[in-house]
Amino acid sequence: MSLHLLIKSLLRRKVVTVLLLVQLAMTLALLVNSLLLAMQTRDKLNEPTGLNLPQTLQVQLKPTTPDLRVYPLLGDLLERQMAAVRALPGVKAVAYANQGPVRQGGNNGNLFDADAQERTNIPDIPQYMVSPDFFAALDLNLVEGQLPVTPIAIDIKTPSPLVLTRSLAEKLFPGRSAVGLKTNRAPVAAVVEDFFGQSEATKVTYNMIQVAPLYGVDWGYALLINTSAGNTEQIRQQLPEVLRKVDANIEVFYVRTLEEQHQQLYRNEFGLATLLGILSGLMLLVAMVSSYSNAHFHALKQQQEIGIKRALGASKQLILLELLSENWLTTFVGASLGVLCALALNKMLATVISLEALNWWLPLLCSAVLLVCVTIATWYPARIATSVSPATATKTL
Amino acid sequence: MEQFLYYLKVSWVSIKRAPLPYALTIFILSLGLGVFFANATFYYQLNSDPLPHKSAKLFFPMTLMVPNECSDCPPPRVLSYSNVQKLSQSDIPSAKAGMYSADGYLRLDTKQAPTPVSIRITQPDFFKMFEVPLLHGSIWADDKARLELILSKQTAVKMFGRSDVVGEKILLDDRFYTVIGVLDDWQMLPRLYDANNRGHLEDADQVYMPLETGYDFNYMSNRQSHTYDYTDYRQLATQGRTGALNQLQFWVQLDTDAQQQAYRQFMSNLVADEKKAGRHPSTPNNQLIPMRTIVTYFGGESADIKAFALVTLLFLGVCLFNASHLSLNRYISNQYEFSLRRALGASRGQLQQQMLADVLLMATFCCIGGLLIAWGGVTLLNFLWPANSLFGRWDLTLLLLLLAITFTMSYLVTLYPSLRASFGGLNQQLKE
Repeated sequence: MSLHLLIKSLLRRKVVTVLLLVQLAMTLALLVNSLLLAMQTRDKLNEPTGLNLPQTLQVQLKPTTPDLRVYPLLGDLLERQMAAVRALPGVKAVAYANQGPVRQGGNNGNLFDADAQERTNIPDIPQYMVSPDFFAALDLNLVEGQLPVTPIAIDIKTPSPLVLTRSLAEKLFPGRSAVGLKTNRAPVAAVVEDFFGQSEATKVTYNMIQVAPLYGVDWGYALLINTSAGNTEQIRQQLPEVLRKVDANIEVFYVRTLEEQHQQLYRNEFGLATLLGILSGLMLLVAMVSSYSNAHFHALKQQQEIGIKRALGASKQLILLELLSENWLTTFVGASLGVLCALALNKMLATVISLEALNWWLPLLCSAVLLVCVTIATWYPARIATSVSPATATKTL
Repeated sequence: MEQFLYYLKVSWVSIKRAPLPYALTIFILSLGLGVFFANATFYYQLNSDPLPHKSAKLFFPMTLMVPNECSDCPPPRVLSYSNVQKLSQSDIPSAKAGMYSADGYLRLDTKQAPTPVSIRITQPDFFKMFEVPLLHGSIWADDKARLELILSKQTAVKMFGRSDVVGEKILLDDRFYTVIGVLDDWQMLPRLYDANNRGHLEDADQVYMPLETGYDFNYMSNRQSHTYDYTDYRQLATQGRTGALNQLQFWVQLDTDAQQQAYRQFMSNLVADEKKAGRHPSTPNNQLIPMRTIVTYFGGESADIKAFALVTLLFLGVCLFNASHLSLNRYISNQYEFSLRRALGASRGQLQQQMLADVLLMATFCCIGGLLIAWGGVTLLNFLWPANSLFGRWDLTLLLLLLAITFTMSYLVTLYPSLRASFGGLNQQLKE
């Protein structure tokens, strides 16, 4: 079996071969980019967040009457809600916050070293107003300094001291301890380990926290609850009822684990990766149908030729290998063209969505998958062709 | 007609002779069309013009009038109350309206459970500019604050059990208001007047309140607000009206090129005067964005839909090639029959008419299959991207487009194979 003869055989059916090559190339291009996007989404979902995602619950809620949205009634409501949640078995810590972590955007502002505004100004840093148990609720470890233990009174104008995450403190005050240093908002009281704040912030691990009252809850607020293992789901079920018992004048928007919140954050990427995955599967199916049809039709047309070869002593295995080899050659050429198509598609997709550049092994892996699919699709018609006896195949000669 | 029926019958006999290759061709073409059409539905609806006869006349003016200096900064996406007042001073626009949206709770009395609602806080020209249909009552006569609301029809029916509720009292948060108007069914999609932060994907608001009332009662924007100074956002009625608390969107209607040019000049003069008066230090950066391009300007285009559109187009291409491939094999298998008909006197034109009958049958099957797959695709897309769910609907234009694409695809799939079968050497074909 020579390569020359295989090519000659393919050239006898130029149009069919070209159609098949185009399909295979496009299939590989889509397969490669789908897999790349799926891997990218998986990496995002597995990125370290610095948080105990499955065991931390977030309740997003808002009082439905205006008087409950301002102090002193708001302060009283928050204390009663936190006490009721704290009393649930399995709750390790509970805190209020103007917003939860692991979000796309929200309440944020700029921060700079009070002595070097021009050089150190960092925009878009998530700004949290929280109760003292916020750090316990999110299981955040203290790096240096002392965490504030009581919120300042609502009527005091002095700003609460800041707690910064480690990466933000290092960026703002490189090579020195941030504790005690002044910023445009307040002096730094402590530094805690990094955690995922907002994906649209300057950096996802930049966060500034103030133990302070919630000055207004027109946009709602969050209760963050650290639960012990095995109790999370049970607590989640109880929470809406428990909170409504404290005061019925509230709207509970949702109760989620931070893990669900994290998945929600990347829902669009996950959706696109799923759709491309489904489409890749369909494309492979289409490629298999094409290969099957090609092999089937070709085998029928070549029945006499195969019969003569069999009569002249060619074994069934040799005929089978010959038919498979034709498809392997087509797949190889199609996959080679497909790599170029994949590069072009990658560039086009990168203009509309965030997509990494192609690596070297992904096209190889996808080519192998394509080869396996084509082989499976070709196997059956090739087997049928080889099972025809030389007498039947040549009787019309 | 008789001849046409005969061609259809011949096509049907040909299909029955080898149903599998034909079924595969139909399946693959339907798959490509269905997947393409599912995404095209969203792409088309998201990029449609909700006011085609008017959108070119509606503009969003933006200026970089903020108290702190910023070089090469774009103007803020939301404006302060005082800047909207300044931009409203001109008589050049045929209509103008500042607006924002806020959340509230609606009930008939204090004993009733609250119903969360979205409130559009705006000015009377809003209804004129965006052609909002009124079912009952009237719009506020002027821009003054008043305890009067306009409700959407669904909200009126939900709260009162009927739509004609003009003159009724309703409790919004902690104040009673009089309902002075009820809108007819209305949903502007995409909601281009609120394109900031992807608000164009959302449903229409349920309650409409005068802008001045919203400020008087400290309704904060639920979309975006930005403070450029030390304005206390809880003091909208006072500081919010004078400070640099930006939360308003502002639209003007400029019917002619001359009006547009004059308003640009007005904005330039205004910004220059304000700069001279020392109220903002930045280099002027004025924008007058037409409504049709506002989503692009705000960077709110659905990148995922765009990316998927690219891929589905590719998929349709693959399916087209594949179906052509299958069709070619099918026609080559039937070549003897074609040649025999030619030998018996059938002209090439008659063979091409036979092909058109094939195309018609194929297009019918593909249309049915494509629509079924597209329906499944739209359901899947709604599940995976719920934010776009308002746009997963078909209209007559879209269905006609699908029909045209299906017919074209079926024609393309059949064209080459039938030409090859009709135009080959007759002797050779009969020998094979």
